Amino acid sequence: MDYLSHLYLPGALALWCALIFSLSTMWGYALALSGDAGSLTFARRAYSFFALSIVLTAMMLSLLLMMRDFRVEYVYQYSGLELPVYYQFAAFWAGQKGSFMIWLFWGTLLGLLVRKAAGKSEPAVMVIYTLTLMGLLLILVRENPFVMFGKTPVDGQGLNPLLQDNWMVIHPPIMFIGYAATAIPFAFAMAALWRRDYDGWAARAFPFALGGFLVLGTAILMGGYWAYKTLGWGGYWGWDPVENASLIPWIFGTVLIHGLHMERAQSRYRRANYVFTFLAYISVLYGTFLTRSGVLADFSVHSFVDLGISGWLTLLLGGFLLLGLYLIVTRWKEIPTKPNEDPFLSRGTFMVLATITLLTLALVITAGTSAPLLTRFMTSPSQVGPSFYNRVNLPIALLVAFLLALVPYLAWRGNAWREVAHKLVWPGFFSIIVTIVAAVWRVEDVFHLVFILLASLALATNLQKTVGKLRGPSGLRGAGGYLAHVGVGVILLGVIASAGYDQSTKVTLVQGVPREVDGMTLTFKRFIPRQGREKERMEVEVARAGQQPFNVYPKLFINDRTRQVMVNPDIKSSPFQDLYVSPIDFDPGQPRLQLAKGQSGKIGDMEVRFEGFDLQAEGNAMAAMAAGKEVTIGAVLAVTRSGRTVPLKPLYRLNPASGSVETPPAPLPGGGEVVVSGINATSGAVQLDLSGIPNPAKLSLDVTRKPLIQLVWGGLYIVLFGGVLATVQRLREVRIREKIGQV
Amino acid sequence: MKKNRWYLLGGLLLAVFAGFSFTAFKSSMTPYVSFERAREADRVVQVAGALEKGSSSYVDTRESLFFTLKDPKDSSTLRVRFKGLKPANFEDAVSIVAIGRYDDKAKEFEADKLLVKCPSKYQGAEVRKYS
Repeated sequence: MDYLSHLYLPGALALWCALIFSLSTMWGYALALSGDAGSLTFARRAYSFFALSIVLTAMMLSLLLMMRDFRVEYVYQYSGLELPVYYQFAAFWAGQKGSFMIWLFWGTLLGLLVRKAAGKSEPAVMVIYTLTLMGLLLILVRENPFVMFGKTPVDGQGLNPLLQDNWMVIHPPIMFIGYAATAIPFAFAMAALWRRDYDGWAARAFPFALGGFLVLGTAILMGGYWAYKTLGWGGYWGWDPVENASLIPWIFGTVLIHGLHMERAQSRYRRANYVFTFLAYISVLYGTFLTRSGVLADFSVHSFVDLGISGWLTLLLGGFLLLGLYLIVTRWKEIPTKPNEDPFLSRGTFMVLATITLLTLALVITAGTSAPLLTRFMTSPSQVGPSFYNRVNLPIALLVAFLLALVPYLAWRGNAWREVAHKLVWPGFFSIIVTIVAAVWRVEDVFHLVFILLASLALATNLQKTVGKLRGPSGLRGAGGYLAHVGVGVILLGVIASAGYDQSTKVTLVQGVPREVDGMTLTFKRFIPRQGREKERMEVEVARAGQQPFNVYPKLFINDRTRQVMVNPDIKSSPFQDLYVSPIDFDPGQPRLQLAKGQSGKIGDMEVRFEGFDLQAEGNAMAAMAAGKEVTIGAVLAVTRSGRTVPLKPLYRLNPASGSVETPPAPLPGGGEVVVSGINATSGAVQLDLSGIPNPAKLSLDVTRKPLIQLVWGGLYIVLFGGVLATVQRLREVRIREKIGQV
Repeated sequence: MKKNRWYLLGGLLLAVFAGFSFTAFKSSMTPYVSFERAREADRVVQVAGALEKGSSSYVDTRESLFFTLKDPKDSSTLRVRFKGLKPANFEDAVSIVAIGRYDDKAKEFEADKLLVKCPSKYQGAEVRKYS
């Protein structure tokens, strides 16, 4: 009963209802599987109620956040009175419990689509799919988001200021749609194995695999953009465990859509595709385990604390791992296959090579991300830095570019070398020109030049094929795959240019004084105080010879509640490069010092050291204090200016009777005055106000030029657009198949 | 026969790549060590500790942030230099992880990367006092 009294019951009830309905769904579908056709209706209805309960649960949590009901622990932890409405809403997925909630929410809604798309294999697919959802549901029942305090706190702790960004509203929920979607091909594949019904599942799962790939890709793009534009991490990708946890499933998803394409076009990969769906789903669970269980707590910029769900996550991961392995291993021999009879120079062989390459890529990133776990058993737990990923991924990227460049010209039945070489003439010409331009520009590293050659070749050959497809019968719709490959070529070029050839300079600007930085003239013009929702900004003018000068506004402000210094870079984009200006430090030039005994501080050209208080400055201060007479304390200072140190003793007179304070100014060497504006008796610190000395404000900046970074974003957009086209095409095929009754 | 040769070549390439990855993995590993061992190690390591209050300052001329880390267990300290900007929640951090190597000449730990942890504020550790 004590436990119940600490729950927000409407929410908790909805959650428990969801558990009951999910169990009913499983039971209903299980009955349907054993031949009781009547229970199908029951199972469907149970699932609808399950989905409704989850929607209600999510709405309840959302409502509590919007109403700022701080009795609820989760609301207290991630919301606050001052938080604007849309962040109140975004606080939903700020914590662990809410993240699992939004994941489950999307998963349940997607289940409605799965139910419709599964056709005659609906019972088996839905049993597996509901099982994946129940894993999440059980975590939430255990770590209930509706736990309440005994008392009502006045205000919540507020949302982490790092998360108070527009991207926070949109990026995480999209990421979780992508996570939820990986369970769908998995459910289709495992159900097929279970029922020994090896045909037809691939075509049905294909649009879901593509859709999941697209959504996850979009989320990754947004995350990178967020990190780059506002978090001031200096780049879009840091190989952080959390980032990798989303990238690995995306790579497996890429492998899966290519595998499904092989199965559709050539009836190949019929065994491998089961493994790919398995890998894509398990990698999501594994990534969640790594990033949510606290095993990586000391190795990531994202804070993780063990919520006490490590055991559950391990169970979830282990359970689905065993289930998948069991089904794959026991059915392996039965799955019909077609022997590989392709000649070497054929599309089939190259697809196999590409698959192996991408699997290797995913494996390498998984190994790197798991380093703290892997090394735990050998030496002291270690992590691997970005250098590992950069070194190992370069040869993989080279191979990817090479395969991509040739694939468009290869036929399934195979080609003659001469034929391919002949077709490569024009794209080859293009890529050689690009490479020469790169070499003339700055690139000297041979590996990088080869990389650029192959990436631009991949871009050109796929572009040629895309244009060819546009003229074909299905037009733009048929060009999705090639277009996506054009995008990959563009991304590879953007990555090598922006990451390998960026130039970073750190400078300190004195207000109003122009300074030459890397071919530009930078002037710190002014500090703009906070205006409404617009945070404190710095106005910096950038001038380049022969160009109109422009202003950039990097932000450096203090979060009121947490006293954290927050940094937002400002980026000036031009077609060929981004100018990335990030503040490091701001010295407002305020002539005030607070010093403890023995401390020294700098103002302008002067260094002031506080030696201690003189209690005998005008008679004994302690005796005067005891007698209730006027107390005089001297602050013993050593002031150093232009190499000369002078002792000074400004006074602080306090009349205890009237409470009035008198602080006669002491002249500073070389002009100006110093006044004791406050003393702190308990900490023994003094506050000094200086006047009449030159002390302009100073701004330290990190100024980075990132060449061709636009290509990274542009390329990703092309990949995603190509993916959309391919999804539309696959959906049409499913519909046509249904019409002609070939399921 | 011809096919086997391709498989052999592919396997060989994979083996070479696996070896290459393994060496890259080993060389970019950064083990967690104590301050004492960080001073002796001549490789990239990571150390963790609490920030000594009031010890951090950004020095323009050297474009670096300087601060002192304190080991909460044995209160040994380590002076750290970080060539870069002060991370967002630096002053409030419960624990700071610095990744880099010890510079014997300057008697400082030269950090390439900092990870800042402030779980107390946002992860609910303070919640308990209300309940």
